[in-house]
Amino acid sequence: MNIVEVHQLTKTFELHILNGKRITALSGIDFAIEEGEIIGLTGKSGSGKSSLMKCLYRTYLATSGEILYTAQAGVIDLVKAKDHEVLALRRAEIRYCSQFLSVIPRVPAVDVVAEPLMRTERNRDLARARARQMLEVLGLPTELWDAYPVTFSGGEQQRINVARAIIARPRLLLIDEPTASLDTRTKDVVIDLIRELKQDGTSVLCISHDEYTLGKMADRRLHLSGGHILSNVTATI
Amino acid sequence: MSFHNEHSWLLKVRNLTKVYGEPNERTVELTGPEFGTNICPETESIVACAGVSFDLFPGEVLGIVGESGSGKSTVVKLLYFDIEKTAGSAWLRPYGDGKTNILEASGQQKRYIRNHLMGTVYQNPRDGLNFSFSSGGNIAEKLIMAGHMHVGNIRERAAYLLDKTEVPVRRMDDRPAAFSGGMQQRVQISKAIANNPPLLFLDEVTTGLDVSVQARVLDLIRELQQELGIAMIVVSHDLSVIRMLTDRTLVMKHGRVVESGLTDQILQDPQHAYTQLLVSSLL
Repeated sequence: MNIVEVHQLTKTFELHILNGKRITALSGIDFAIEEGEIIGLTGKSGSGKSSLMKCLYRTYLATSGEILYTAQAGVIDLVKAKDHEVLALRRAEIRYCSQFLSVIPRVPAVDVVAEPLMRTERNRDLARARARQMLEVLGLPTELWDAYPVTFSGGEQQRINVARAIIARPRLLLIDEPTASLDTRTKDVVIDLIRELKQDGTSVLCISHDEYTLGKMADRRLHLSGGHILSNVTATI
Repeated sequence: MSFHNEHSWLLKVRNLTKVYGEPNERTVELTGPEFGTNICPETESIVACAGVSFDLFPGEVLGIVGESGSGKSTVVKLLYFDIEKTAGSAWLRPYGDGKTNILEASGQQKRYIRNHLMGTVYQNPRDGLNFSFSSGGNIAEKLIMAGHMHVGNIRERAAYLLDKTEVPVRRMDDRPAAFSGGMQQRVQISKAIANNPPLLFLDEVTTGLDVSVQARVLDLIRELQQELGIAMIVVSHDLSVIRMLTDRTLVMKHGRVVESGLTDQILQDPQHAYTQLLVSSLL
């Protein structure tokens, strides 16, 4: 079953402050993501990878086309869905993990990670326990668990970010460069965590430049160039 | 199909309008962002806000952003009955099962709604607190208005609320004038949530506070929101505050909503020329 079907997706930015200049980031994008499939999204900087991901999360409003998402409650077009509907899906099913952690002031690492679970579980102690477990698996030093992530290194922040994205076990995970600033051992841990989600049926769209990461987890690769899909290749593992 | 029950709104607002002065029938149509003014050229009346409509769902945080004079505070003041509307309707689900236009309620009904179903935190603590009462007295006042009578219980609840908002309970009998700005805001928050309202208005609550104090107040609001599930309308000119606290945002200019959407969409893919300018000015 396809969890996502993208048809003729186009994204054009109209910059009013530059006299209405138009920049096309994506055009004529067609592809699907199967349930439990991991797709690696590749392409040079500026090829449209992040724009595509942000259209799927509705951080960007698509200009035309449709993004049909099969939610637990039925099929919905994420291009036209109401804001409330998108919010409800983000809370329950769809998770976006950006390349950089957007830090929340004065919130300790463990609570940053536990937060998505606190929204659904309402049991704060359980959510925190789960967060500690994840931080342990990801090898974040225990003395940092109660510290504020704003002071953390790039790799430490990235682990917080990944943990936060997967703790609530989303049905669709949109993840941008999850292993970029990690050493090989930690990379393997992140890859294993994502593959574990896949076993439970989570579908993953993952932007990465890292051949090692893609080779170990991508079922298929989607290569973008100039806002078009250049190739859509199933991996031969 | 519907993922979010369309009928489960907490607050429904339609065509909310406030005009100062003596407008004529063309006042509203001759003002707004496309005219670059909210002052009517024929009557010089001022359109503080016009045609504002939105739905707020339980536990949701809605931001209203815009520059000074855009009408963002007017919206909140109208809904909290601080000022009288010129036109428009608002329905609050827990009041009369959402069938009564609260903007046309009687004075007594409005007092009931303010004391039981809403709370507000103003930019200036002097607007929200009575400076001749102690901090505990201020909270007690709100509790008494909602029908609490037992002095011991009132004191206990006030202490609990002050503790919750990180105000030292031993300072319960001190007057707000003896408190720092950040502490005064926290007392205001205690007072606003004293009766567990489902809806809270926050109007520029961190404007004018030091950065570290600001972070503490924002963090407190986030925590209370998560823990108590209160729906909030957050008015701010500060996009960082909007980004940190809200799920959805309305952008206002010259008394009109020029754009609305998910907060991350407003910040990263603004559609309206004014929003693009606003976002590009973000530090």
